[in-house]
Amino acid sequence: MAEYAHPEVLVDTAWVAEHLNDPNVRIVESNEDILLYDQGHIPGAIKIDWVADLNDHVVRDYLDREHFEQLLSAKGIGNDTTVVFYGDKNNWWATYALWVFKLYGHKDARIMNGGRAKWIAEGHDLTKEVPSYAPATYKAPERDDSTIRAFRDQVREHIKKSGVALVDVRSPQEYSGERTHMPEYPQEGTLRGGHIPTAASIPWAQAVKEDSTFKSRADLEALYGGKGITPDKDVIAYCRIGERSSHTWFVLTYLLGYPKVRNYDGSWTEWGNGVGLPIEKTYQS
Amino acid sequence: MDRQEAIEFLLDHYQNPRNHGPLDPVDVTMPGGNPGCGDVVTIHLKVNDAGDQIEHVTFEGTGCTISQAAASILTEMVEGRPLTEIDDMDFNDMIDQLGREVVSTRPRCATLALGTLKAAITQYRNNKIRADIDAEQRGA
Repeated sequence: MAEYAHPEVLVDTAWVAEHLNDPNVRIVESNEDILLYDQGHIPGAIKIDWVADLNDHVVRDYLDREHFEQLLSAKGIGNDTTVVFYGDKNNWWATYALWVFKLYGHKDARIMNGGRAKWIAEGHDLTKEVPSYAPATYKAPERDDSTIRAFRDQVREHIKKSGVALVDVRSPQEYSGERTHMPEYPQEGTLRGGHIPTAASIPWAQAVKEDSTFKSRADLEALYGGKGITPDKDVIAYCRIGERSSHTWFVLTYLLGYPKVRNYDGSWTEWGNGVGLPIEKTYQS
Repeated sequence: MDRQEAIEFLLDHYQNPRNHGPLDPVDVTMPGGNPGCGDVVTIHLKVNDAGDQIEHVTFEGTGCTISQAAASILTEMVEGRPLTEIDDMDFNDMIDQLGREVVSTRPRCATLALGTLKAAITQYRNNKIRADIDAEQRGA
């Protein structure tokens, strides 16, 4: 892992196994499948759920500073705690949680390379016991939405510029406009299929290997550089609600060291429904 | 049903899915879900000869525990029921059936199968209307 631009943000499963009882480390499981934690998790790991814990329950936004402080304090996480995220689906939701933590500037947040799948594949212990930690006192600054987060109007200006890059990390079918949601789908649907003009298509999971660990730096550079997503550019990544693109944000920012990468969390559920926003559709039915 | 009971209920259906697999004969096969997210459910529907009641429903799919367990539970709930009762089934009813405390943060997963079944019934009715019109035209 030393090959990466910021190797300190990745730990392997062996490191986690050695730090299960480290009071300065909090292991955090974040999944798409909300019942996986109940079926078994890394001993001592707590659960943080992107819906219940990280989203504002009314406004489409993330929790505010006061609730972020309350959440972390209640989980026994202090400002100096090393937080190691892991989860299902190649750490898709783990990187999403890490991204939210970074909106609040948490200093030491890391990802367990390979996620839940690798931990299990290697035969490490799982437990159903939910740990309890003494509350901590967490003090957060106001959320910084300007550095690693992009908004719709910023994207609208972004696609008019030269020397910038936009990467769509959804599936090729979503990118082309072939697929939208099925009838009566209760949420997250879009009226239009397609992609934001100028976006390159690089599905997020191309950044990982079959064992769920990240590809080598050389392979990642070839993957993104080959589609024009290079470190000299101001890069914005998007998907459907900003979760898959947080994974790409993580790869570009920490593994490849790109200096300016933002995640457009409004993503296709906002853009594809937006009145007057330009889209491109390559799929011909 | 408390939280733990709801989890056990869902896990049982996830690990031992009921009415799982293709269906033959079948009136409608309806795919549902979001491949990008990973939850996919395909509903196979057979309606009775009178065209007003579910004769049998099976499902196939992949995805999270809740989406697949909900599909299994739904197939048991709707067996033999009139189509009009499925029309009246509310997404909230489904969430309550599964255990609101456990699934409320994943309404899309919890209601994917129901939405897909409703779409299958709509497709069945459309097919029937077209078939009736064709029969009328042939008769004329």
